[in-house]
Parts: sequence; structure tokens; C-alpha cells
Amino acid sequence: MDFKLASVDSLIIYFGNEISADISSKVKNAYLSLQKLNCEGIIEIIPSYSSIFITYDIFKYDYEKVVELLKNSITTKSNESNDEKVVNIDVYYGVEVGLDLEDMSTKTDLSIQEIIDIHSNKLYDVYAIGFLPGFAYLASVDQRIAMPRLSSPRKQIPKGSVSIADTQTAVYPQASPGGWNIIGRTALELFDKNLDSLSPLSVGNKVKFNSISKEEFLSQGGIL
Amino acid sequence: MSLEIINSPLFATLQDQGRFSYTHIGVTNSGVMDEYSYLVANKILGNKLDTNIIEISFSNVEFKSNVNTVIAITGSSCEFFINGVSKNTWQSHNIKVGDSIKIGKILEGSRVYLGVKGGFDINKEFGSNSTTIKENLGGIDGDRLKKSQILPCDTFVQSHNTRLKDTFIPKYENELELRVVLSYQDEFFPKEQIEKFFSSSYIISNEFNRMGCKLKGEAISCDINGIISEGISFGAIQIPSDGQPIILLKDRQTIGGYPKIGSVLSIDCFKLAQAKPSCKITFKPIEIKEAQEKVREFYSSFN
Repeated sequence: MDFKLASVDSLIIYFGNEISADISSKVKNAYLSLQKLNCEGIIEIIPSYSSIFITYDIFKYDYEKVVELLKNSITTKSNESNDEKVVNIDVYYGVEVGLDLEDMSTKTDLSIQEIIDIHSNKLYDVYAIGFLPGFAYLASVDQRIAMPRLSSPRKQIPKGSVSIADTQTAVYPQASPGGWNIIGRTALELFDKNLDSLSPLSVGNKVKFNSISKEEFLSQGGIL
Repeated sequence: MSLEIINSPLFATLQDQGRFSYTHIGVTNSGVMDEYSYLVANKILGNKLDTNIIEISFSNVEFKSNVNTVIAITGSSCEFFINGVSKNTWQSHNIKVGDSIKIGKILEGSRVYLGVKGGFDINKEFGSNSTTIKENLGGIDGDRLKKSQILPCDTFVQSHNTRLKDTFIPKYENELELRVVLSYQDEFFPKEQIEKFFSSSYIISNEFNRMGCKLKGEAISCDINGIISEGISFGAIQIPSDGQPIILLKDRQTIGGYPKIGSVLSIDCFKLAQAKPSCKITFKPIEIKEAQEKVREFYSSFN
């Protein structure tokens, strides 16, 4: 763990300098140990791929004190009782919602069905949440369907769009501008003001995409 | 009992000190851009310091009062009229049912704050009234204030007006020195680049909003191109590949992937919030210990 100043009331802890499952698991374990600590005066905890950003109350701690507290409290070792929660996300992969499926099929030399199978046959790790409320960065997609971002971002990507950028995949929790390749749509709310947890996803969870029919999508409240 | 908006404001939002402890799911802190003006308004009104307020940019908002209450205007110097009569900002004013309140042109600075005694009675979302338009959260329907909207508030009468001492009313100059805590990726910036950063002057560009402030001037280069996306603080100074610094403000994204040379002291970001495009910016380093003392002093002065 490498502690670094971030601002007058924040710091960042680095667990490595690459995107890997090993580092991500350290971040997850450290994040869980911090949450358990439930420490007064720790205001924000933002886990990401290889770091955890922390904002603290400077009326309670100065920088050295907070670093000392964290060094003594954080563990990166896994706790056996940590359930690896798998969140299922049902996706309708039709071309009318999968705006880039045809283009990806041409570029990859794979049929649309093959792209769908490859995307929905894998368990993805939630590496980070950011960009928009509930926007989870999931990795890694199979190299065969890895696809660079669009050269020009779309002005409006529909809510629930399931997308790919390089080896990452994600769901747009709300309509937003964006440059990821769109392959389908889900009716699942990724940021729900009525849910206690607000988002079904958290760093350290796993995600499984399931291919569903248009009828199922519509019956779940999906909008074309 | 309420204030009613009777024209179409260009850009006015309901804000408070911000929304905390939701950044792990991507929800930004948001909150007033200029906490000094905000805290003074609440102090003048005898409010709790986290009471909501209206943040007005680009001038011209008119209200009709449907309540007897007390208001205060702080922030930029601006044209301010009650029933067509010009009034002082940075002090409390009794308002009666039927009164018209008009914030006209902004003369110096760029954000005006209008607070009422007791605050506006509007439901909070995740503990805050702060409006974040891109997240569709807070305020009224997660959006800017619009014509005909009703802002409920309670009845109050104050027997005498409270006014901030003139010496504490800020002047908004066209030059600003911002104190910077070297942090984040500073070690990846060569020494001469850090020297260049502190010895150059920059100009605020037109890309200046609640998310951040992009500067123009000497390009700063970094030994690394991008970084793995990580949490971003209020005031963080990103250096994208064009070398032009971007200071991230209240509506910043929670995580991002540009190298950062350091962070502007929060209390200096409040001054930046009142600056305008073309304002000259210089940076000065400050050690963390002193920086924390200065920020503690700032907040302690309101208690």
C-alpha cells in the first residue's frame, strides 16, 4: 500500500499500477475492511481499479494521523466469509437496441449471434464505479469482441444500453453522451433512487449477462 | 408561503453544501461553488450553516414573494431591487407578501446567492438539495430553476437588519493566486515542468462551469500519458495531453484518468468560483500542514 496526498482533505492509496484481477482483489478487500471500520470522520471512500481515494474531516485528523489510522486498519487479505455476489443482468441483444452490433460483426468477422454468445458467456468483475451514478466498469471481455471507442461519441446513448470499450463492458444507467459500442439493452435499473443500496452493483461484485428475448425484455419494463 | 419565479432564469440552481458519501457509486459531491458567499448568507440570516440557497449565474432572476420573510443576497456584486428600489447586498432584508425581488445584471464576480431565513422547504435527495443536472439529482426535478416554479419557505420577521462588515465583502479582481498542494502524480512531472507551472500565468478559458475550469497558457508536460482511472478530489488539477491545466470543481466526475499535478486549496476554489473567463491565474505551492490550518481557520470563523 502506497499512501499519497490528494488534496487538503483527501488522500489516495495505491495497491499497484496495472489493471489486474490480483490488484482489484486487494482493492476490494481493503475497501471491505474500511467499510467495516465505519470510522467517524472518513467521508468518502472511492475504490477504483488499483486505488482507493479517501476524503476525511480535517477537524478530526491531520494528514499524518489519518494515514497512521488507515495503515493500522486496512487489510488486503481476503476474508473467507466475503461472498462473491453475482449480479445477473438480463439483456435484449436485438439490432434495434444494439446499435453497433452490425458494425462490430463486420469488423470482427463474427456473426451477431457469436458476439452475443461470447459477451454473455463470461463472468465480469466490477472494477470501478464512476462517470455516472451507477456506471460500473466491468472487465474483461474476450479479446475477440474487444472494440475501440467510437471515433466520434454519440450525443445521446439510451438508458440501459449495454456497451463495450476495448476490453471493458458497462451498462449506461441513464441516457448520456458516450463513445462506447452499444450491443444491447437491459431493463434493470442500475441506479435506483428507491433502492436502499441505490445501485445493485458494488466494486468486487461479479456480473453475468443473460441473453433474453424481445418479449421478455418488454415484459420486464424495457423500452425500445 | 413561498417565493415564486416569475421570469426565465438563464442558470439558477438550488444548492447546499453538497451530497456526501455517495461517490463510491458515482454520485458527485456537487454543492455551492462559492462556500464563502453561501456561509455568509446563512450567517446573516441566522440559518444553520448547511441551509439551502439559490445559486445564480449569468444574472436576471425575478421573484414574487407570497410570504413575509427575510432574505439576503451575497456573492457577486449585482443589481438588486426590491419593488424596483435598489438595495444593498451582503445584508438581510424583510420581504412582504406581494413584494417583487429582482437580481439584475452581475457587475463584478460571476455567482450570486439568494438565501431565505429557514431555507426553502424542498425534499432532499440523498441528504442534499444540491442540484446536479447531469445526474438529474436534487433541486426541483434535478434541473435548473424555471419560470413559475414555487419555492416554499416559512414566515419570519426580523426586527433589525444584519449586515456583513464592509471589510469582509470580497473584491473580485481580474487576477487570482491559487494555492496548490502538490499531490497525486506530481512525482511524474519533471522538476522544470513544476517550476514552469508555478512561474507561469494562465488565463481562464470559456470552458468554465460547475464541473471544472480549463486554463490557457504555458503547456505543462508529464512523463506519463494517462493513468488508471482513480478518485478525484475537489480542486484537483488535471493535465491532459495538451498540457493545459483543468481545475476540477463541485460537479466533477468521481473518477478519471488524467495525470494530476496537485490540488488547489478548497478555499481558493471558492474564490475561483467568482472569477470570469480571461481572469489571470497564478499558482503558489503550499505545504499540507499549513493548508489544513488555513482551511480549519476558514470554517472556524463561521462557528
